[in-house]
Amino acid sequence: MKRWIAFAIVVVVACLLPLALDPRGYWIRVLTFTLLFAAMAQAWNIIGGLANQTSLGHAAFFGIGAYTSTILLLKFGLSPWIGMVAGGVFGGVAAFIIAIPTMRLQGHYFALATLAFGEVMRVIANVWVSLTGGPGGTSIPFSPPSFANYSFKLLLPHTYIAIAALVITTLIFEWIQRGAMGYRLRAIKENPSAAEVIGIDTTRVKLQAAVISGALMAMLGTLYVQVAVFFDPDTVFSAAGISIRVALVAILGGIGTAIGPILGAFFIIPLEELMNEWFSSSAAGLSQLIFGLILIVVILWRPHGFVTVFRSLRAKFTGGTAR
Amino acid sequence: MAFIQAVIDGLLIGGVYAVISIGLTLVYGVMGIINFAQAEFLMIGMLVAWFAWAFLGLDPVLAAPLSFTVAFVIGWFVQGQLISRVLKAPSVAQIFLTVGLLIVIENSALLAFGSQFRSVTTWYQTISLSLGPLFVSVPYLIAFAMSLACGVALWWFMRTSWFGRAMRATAQNPGAAQLMGIDSALMYRIAFALGVGLTAFGGAVIMPYVTVYPGVGGQYVVLMFTVVVLGGLGSVAGAVAGGLAVGVIQALSALVFPIQLQNLVLFVVFILVLAVRPQGLVGASR
Repeated sequence: MKRWIAFAIVVVVACLLPLALDPRGYWIRVLTFTLLFAAMAQAWNIIGGLANQTSLGHAAFFGIGAYTSTILLLKFGLSPWIGMVAGGVFGGVAAFIIAIPTMRLQGHYFALATLAFGEVMRVIANVWVSLTGGPGGTSIPFSPPSFANYSFKLLLPHTYIAIAALVITTLIFEWIQRGAMGYRLRAIKENPSAAEVIGIDTTRVKLQAAVISGALMAMLGTLYVQVAVFFDPDTVFSAAGISIRVALVAILGGIGTAIGPILGAFFIIPLEELMNEWFSSSAAGLSQLIFGLILIVVILWRPHGFVTVFRSLRAKFTGGTAR
Repeated sequence: MAFIQAVIDGLLIGGVYAVISIGLTLVYGVMGIINFAQAEFLMIGMLVAWFAWAFLGLDPVLAAPLSFTVAFVIGWFVQGQLISRVLKAPSVAQIFLTVGLLIVIENSALLAFGSQFRSVTTWYQTISLSLGPLFVSVPYLIAFAMSLACGVALWWFMRTSWFGRAMRATAQNPGAAQLMGIDSALMYRIAFALGVGLTAFGGAVIMPYVTVYPGVGGQYVVLMFTVVVLGGLGSVAGAVAGGLAVGVIQALSALVFPIQLQNLVLFVVFILVLAVRPQGLVGASR
């Protein structure tokens, strides 16, 4: 009960925060992308954290969502909301297709296979020019501003949609974690053979987690490009820019926890924006260099993410033990 | 005839792929870690060779030992200070530590040397030998010969030297090796430094026909993984076979598909091999 009250308070504060920012300013944009990255990391967390399968290819689903809604809008005039749902379906199907051959792989092998899958999608999107527009990129066409058209004059509605997306993905994550599926996934994580012996269909459970994660990621891809407006295959299918960054956000915050991706996103995304702002003109590469150094330091210092910092602080004050 | 020509080109390039990928498989074989930053050491090797050419007038191929040494020293510290700390950590920590390293090395190079493309000019760059209707490109041939020499030297080191045997013993059974008085931490350091050194060596010998820039490693990442997975992760002999195979696959697919799809064929092969035979086509276990 206490957790739910805390959750409600956080959501209310989150909804008030954008009102304090300049509606045409820079920071509301940063906030929107931070929220979206938190939601994406949460979607990644289902497969990466709960099922313990480190995916380095989530850009594949993200890009599928981005292109599905945009192509449906461009070629058939369908609202991006419908496109988002269609993208979610395609993302789930893609996750299913890639999961069949890779689900048995573990650790490094799974990471490698998913990395290659993301790259496959990037190459296809670049080559299939008649569908995607190719390396030249695609713009979201203008539609009269309305909620049904998913078109707004200001950024603020996008921010609230991002908040809603983060709340929904977090609730789905919690629901999976607390439900029967969460128990099964935890059993697989602790000991795959033992889980198999007690009657868990390990492949099927991991497959379910992969499909949910892929579908959510694709839907978030639609939301993202509605804000970004312009994109090309190399950005939405980017291994470094999407796949690795999303995994990083979850890992920095605390892999396998509901709060982890949110902590991670609110730490790293604004920091990255700030560093780009400060250094991009004077010293290209410096902000990414610092980004990499932070990653190394966090992995060595807190291999289980920032969430452990809060846990040990709490343990210090309440006299309990840190987990 | 185009087919045979493609096979020849593929084998020559594949020899280099073998050498740049051996390090990846060596490190995995000895300590069970996949170094996602391995391709960055290729970039370091290329840059060292370029600077040796630009400022010392040294042929990039002759600068290869220098590239090896620079990468060896960097690798020695990276293993001792960073990788050694995550040897027992969950695989996700290992993966992201090396991903962090990748980001740091690439952007350090960007910061220090800028984003421009650098290439060398050598007298043999554009020469090919003709064998009847076939051509053998001289820079490919030289790179292949250097890679071969390097591979033989590694084989000799692993077979006959005490360090080589100790390293193989550590790979087989770290506990037993330790009981025999082998310092496993030292073996890990040597394996990692040697591995990245070999990759840098490969980077130097290909300089006559490629261009170096800070992001060049990204072009080779999946290629190197394909090589080692084809040959069986952890198997050095497998990496040689995998390297040659990848070179030939690349050259042959260039005959059939447009240039943009070349890598696609490689990626699909890679995923299929992982799915069907993750222990590699050669089938040697670590």
